Amino acid sequence: MSGYMEAQLIILCLSIIYAYGIFLPAASGQLNLGAAGFITLGAYASAWFNASAGAALPMWLSIPIAMIFTGVIAIAISFPILRTRGVYMVLATFAFAEVVSGIVINLEFVGGASGFPVDDHADVTVIVPVTIAVILFSFYFMSTRLGLALRSIHDDESVATLFGVNVRTAKVVAFTVGAMLMSLGGSLYGHHYNYIEAQTFNVLLSIYILLYVLMGGTQTAWGPLIGAAFFAIVPETLREIAESAGLKWLAEGRFILFGVFIVLLMVFRPEGVMTRTLQNRLGGGLFRRKKVLTDDTGGGS
Amino acid sequence: MTDHLLEITGMHKSFGGLKVIDDVSFNVRRSSRTALIGPNGAGKTTIFNLLTGVYPIDAGTVIVGGQDITDVPAQDRVTVGMSRSFQNIRLMPHLSTVENVMLGQHARARNLGSLLFPLGMLPRNDWRTAAEEALERAGVGTYPGEVVANLPYGVQKRIEVVRALVSDPKLLLLDEPAAGLNKTETLELQALLEKVSDQGVTILVVEHDMQFVRDLCDHIVVLNFGRKIFEGTPEEVHQDPAVLEAYLGTDDDSAEEAANAS
Amino acid sequence: MLVIQQLVNGLMLGGVYVMVAVAFTLIIGMLNFLNFTIPALFMFAAVLMHATMMGQLPFGNDFILSIFGMEYRWVAGIIVSLVVIALVSLVIERFTYRYMKAKYGDATEHALPLVSSLGFLIIFEHFVVSTWGSDPLTAVSPFGQGTFSIDTIIFSVPQIVSLLLSLIVVIMLSVMLKATKLGRALRAIAERPDTATLMGVEVGRIVPVVYVITGLLCAVSGILFTINYATVDAYVGDTVATVAIAGMVLGGLGNVWGAIIGGLFIGMLEVMSIYIVGAEFAKVPIWGLLLLLLAFKPTGLFGHTLIGKGKF
Repeated sequence: MSGYMEAQLIILCLSIIYAYGIFLPAASGQLNLGAAGFITLGAYASAWFNASAGAALPMWLSIPIAMIFTGVIAIAISFPILRTRGVYMVLATFAFAEVVSGIVINLEFVGGASGFPVDDHADVTVIVPVTIAVILFSFYFMSTRLGLALRSIHDDESVATLFGVNVRTAKVVAFTVGAMLMSLGGSLYGHHYNYIEAQTFNVLLSIYILLYVLMGGTQTAWGPLIGAAFFAIVPETLREIAESAGLKWLAEGRFILFGVFIVLLMVFRPEGVMTRTLQNRLGGGLFRRKKVLTDDTGGGS
Repeated sequence: MTDHLLEITGMHKSFGGLKVIDDVSFNVRRSSRTALIGPNGAGKTTIFNLLTGVYPIDAGTVIVGGQDITDVPAQDRVTVGMSRSFQNIRLMPHLSTVENVMLGQHARARNLGSLLFPLGMLPRNDWRTAAEEALERAGVGTYPGEVVANLPYGVQKRIEVVRALVSDPKLLLLDEPAAGLNKTETLELQALLEKVSDQGVTILVVEHDMQFVRDLCDHIVVLNFGRKIFEGTPEEVHQDPAVLEAYLGTDDDSAEEAANAS
Repeated sequence: MLVIQQLVNGLMLGGVYVMVAVAFTLIIGMLNFLNFTIPALFMFAAVLMHATMMGQLPFGNDFILSIFGMEYRWVAGIIVSLVVIALVSLVIERFTYRYMKAKYGDATEHALPLVSSLGFLIIFEHFVVSTWGSDPLTAVSPFGQGTFSIDTIIFSVPQIVSLLLSLIVVIMLSVMLKATKLGRALRAIAERPDTATLMGVEVGRIVPVVYVITGLLCAVSGILFTINYATVDAYVGDTVATVAIAGMVLGGLGNVWGAIIGGLFIGMLEVMSIYIVGAEFAKVPIWGLLLLLLAFKPTGLFGHTLIGKGKF
């Protein structure tokens, strides 16, 4: 594999991990615009636990510890944040990410504004298997009764409650597990590039990740995979094509096309690329039995 | 232990000063098929919402199977043995038929092992089989994988009943289950409910179709303007002057005035 | 005295936030969604103002020079920014609200307008980056460095003029909402869109007006920002205009007077935070305050009900 391809593959893998972190709460209808906050927590926590000036633990220990650390913070903030809904939750998660970034940039023991070097290196042989594990975990998670409950909450929260779903707990679990996945992605980012700066994890990153998920679709676990794969690859491919064709303006302005594409996608597929209905049409799901559909019971009014 | 599964005593509910439920008391006998009828706006659906805990009641008590559930939160009431269907179909539009039914099983699966069991990944498991069999018994077994939003109205209506049934209720609350169904579908529904009733499930049904009520139910409670005006058998209900007046004697305008005055 | 000087500076910065906060609050109050094209329009107006003044537009620079001359190119900048933003607002309205409304009834049901507005944010930022580059653009204020002082406190003339101007614009808007027929129609839509339609309010015609009004608010704010702070870049919307969101929440979503007070307060909070805890840490008090507000008093200081509950 060429160095270029490998670099692209790493970006793709990290995008997929981040996207699943946002997807889990989004599947229950909770929009989280604070991805950058959890990624920052994961990246810095793992870097510090790994650093010789910090806890000097090996990477395979510092990354899980960072995930637990982020998970604990996520649970703590999930109670005030999940009390809010809709636009208020978007704003609250957005504010959370800004607070994290403001604090981290002032912590001198992790380098403050000048960034923080990370010791252990995670190369493609670590990141790709971890990404595959995250994808499999997310498919498993969404196929459980808890996943079913989350999807029910997305559709009709009060009916889910009447059938015994503990809505609050389900939301906290989705939010926290999602935060831990983003933390994992953030640590891998740090260990791959061996250098982190809080400024890298900014509002735009949160926006892009939320867009990957909403573009891909929140109804099935395929959504984030498709969203992240498509949107991490398409701008790069456009650049390749544009440069080889000598279209300088296209290479520079490819993200304008990306934006236009988002707006048009909302016009034509407002529920994302991958919907539940499309999944059925594509073959009735991964392991679903096929049954012949016969409309023998008649219509009704 | 009484032979009453549901005991409602002195139930009151007001919304913004308007008394919607005014001192309603009635009991539902175990294994009976009771109908709750009355003109539009009489408070029938409100009673269902109060029973299932959608809103808290202002005063009174609700006892199910000997247990006082007045202060039990909504999400726990289904475990007491009570589940319902809705007047307007409220299936989860993005879930398949069988997934909607499996949501109905949720109350029986609240331990960690059941919550983390990968229902969707294994083609054969007890939960899925049970859900498919329940659909089969209700005559809607042909659509297990289909997303419900695309199904015909009558089928959706029956899936709602199945979803309520799989939570293993002692008391089944049905809010206008026959509304919008054609003659054949109504008869099929009736047969299904009779079968359920024979297994010992108590049924409380809100319905406008009087033919359906007469054929199915053995006991009737009539509400008007949030008050109980009659309780008795289907034979007696037609002779009761208060019931006749509620249905025939007043039109909607004067009904509203009366509601405001009270 | 230094503290009072900081408060004065904060008030001036708050003047920038006020109009953006009012723009956010109008869209949330009336159409029920968080419009991320607002930071984009603020940034785009600021950059257009800069580019026109400095003769860096993609085309038409000579034409503008021949009409306005070197000295009055700032007038051309104002005209270009306002006209372009008004036109662009109409395009945005089409794709964030009207289409969704026509097709799905309630446009805010699926977080659609939020996503489309994020799409527009990306379009504008990258348009500016690919046209003018991502480095900060520095202009010289056409009004020089006029200052005067009372005692030892220094006031910048352009900043005072800007603050007054933005307050006048916003207060006129508020009066318009109370007194005119258009204002009544707008408030009717904010209260109950369906009923407003039944009562003969042409929602389809009014909503573009809301977009143009909010677009122009952002534009005026962006123009004043360029004149006063001289440095703009493609990301000034992310870093500056989003702070106005905190001001909006503080005042209560959908409340114009709340947004004015909230915007001014956030400006002062920001400057005081920079003064006391340093520029890098200044984000924490602002966004921390927002987080606490959302958790414990989401209606803000003046909002009476929760707007957009359960929506995006």
